[in-house]
Amino acid sequence: MRISATALLIAVLFYIPLGVILARSGRFGSPAAGLIASLRVIPSLALVFLFVPWLGFGYRPALLALVLLAAPAIVLNTVAGLRGVDAAVIEAAQGLGMSRTQVFLRVEWPLALPVIIAGLRSASVEILASATLASLIGVKTLGQYIFTGISLLDTTYLLAGGLPIIALVLLTEVVFGGVERLTSPGMG
Amino acid sequence: MVSRRTLIKGSAALPLAGMAGVTFVSGAPVFAQDGPVKVGSKDFTEQFILGQMYMQVLNDMGVETEDKLNLGGTQIAQEALVNAEIDLYPEYTGTGLTEVLGLSVEDVISGGSASPVAEGATPTANGAASAPGSVSQVVFDAVAAAYKEQFDLVWLERSPANNTQALAVKREFAEENGLATISDLAAIVGDLVISAPADFPERQDGLLGLQRVYGAGFNDVEVLPVAPGVKYQALLDDQAQVVLAFGTDGQIAGYDLVVLEDDLNLWPPYNVAPVVRQAILDAWPDIADRFNAVTTSLTNEVLSGLNWRVDGDEKAEPSDVASDYLSENGFIGG
Repeated sequence: MRISATALLIAVLFYIPLGVILARSGRFGSPAAGLIASLRVIPSLALVFLFVPWLGFGYRPALLALVLLAAPAIVLNTVAGLRGVDAAVIEAAQGLGMSRTQVFLRVEWPLALPVIIAGLRSASVEILASATLASLIGVKTLGQYIFTGISLLDTTYLLAGGLPIIALVLLTEVVFGGVERLTSPGMG
Repeated sequence: MVSRRTLIKGSAALPLAGMAGVTFVSGAPVFAQDGPVKVGSKDFTEQFILGQMYMQVLNDMGVETEDKLNLGGTQIAQEALVNAEIDLYPEYTGTGLTEVLGLSVEDVISGGSASPVAEGATPTANGAASAPGSVSQVVFDAVAAAYKEQFDLVWLERSPANNTQALAVKREFAEENGLATISDLAAIVGDLVISAPADFPERQDGLLGLQRVYGAGFNDVEVLPVAPGVKYQALLDDQAQVVLAFGTDGQIAGYDLVVLEDDLNLWPPYNVAPVVRQAILDAWPDIADRFNAVTTSLTNEVLSGLNWRVDGDEKAEPSDVASDYLSENGFIGG
């Protein structure tokens, strides 16, 4: 499931800055965020096949699909997290003489972080679950066992593919849940 | 896999179905069947076309139908049929033998003294449809008898077409490497990539069978797992050199591929036939004759051509392909 980790990493590097930009660009931000939210209506199955005509089969189109799949959760949570910071708090910070950068790094970012982490959490679950579909376009994943189980109606194969994925998802949940708690206001 | 529950159900249904068959009032059958006949199919092009044919012939007979096409794989369709959630669907003799009954070709031909010829083993060869003693006929007889006994399901007549699994390669590739049979391929397959559905590596009638029958050459072959609908695309894009094909796939003719002969007879014959619940045949006995006329006209060329209309550039609807074929040949609207 290396493809899942890679996809999440790319998604983080790309989407969190994008979310920050959208959160600051007031008028333009909302429609753009809406556009990204609309990605949610594309079934992940369709997304996986979308790039095959250009990129061929295998790792690249699957990775691209998984990265796109993570967009709504991460971008929208970043925007929501930053916009959710109380204006009064920001004013107070400015009143203390902080620069714009300082306000962002020391006030807005820490306050928004739990919401952003929650976005990462749901994105990673979505990526892990959908990565199995990559076995429909030439990537070896646990999905192969699931598809074998479906076509033979054999529960052993279904479990062999499904249980490790459930375990991975649970592990991810625990890790992100922990990070979320650590970054919550009131802890520091 | 047949659970005990479904077996008991199957045998309990037998006397009821028998009674329904003789309940006639002044020539009009009292239908044992409430509601429309539910026509099922598995999830690929040929099954859609055949399912549409069955529905259209039934409609032509004045029988109401319900579209239950695209059910997924064999096991799902079979379960649905045994539980009367569907009333009929097209199945292949070899699939019924190996996947539903859990038998092999050796199991059913071991009794016969004649050494049977693998009729229509290559998809381009359409042997005589009902040559007695052929592997096709022996398998059909065995499957039909076992289905009747175990599930009270009837196999109507089979097609001459043999939609066996097969390995196919591009014509240039076959010529460059001098490939005609799977044995030829086994010698070089270690460096190649096979484009096949994701379940291929784990199946006895897939890679495991190839390793068993054709030997170690297939042990380190690489499999590109893809959805059934796009397996040829990987071959055309040169991301794989070999594709797991079906004998009647339209793409074989459409893309000028070469089917390698299964010279060691790994795969059983896969002639297609409608599998029907006995109660349905009791209610509408004419179904057998009407369906048999259609099925026996289906050769590899015919099915491959029909499939290509759907899968090729024309992208025709399976329902249109079915109705064109049926009316052109006078099977409906007569």
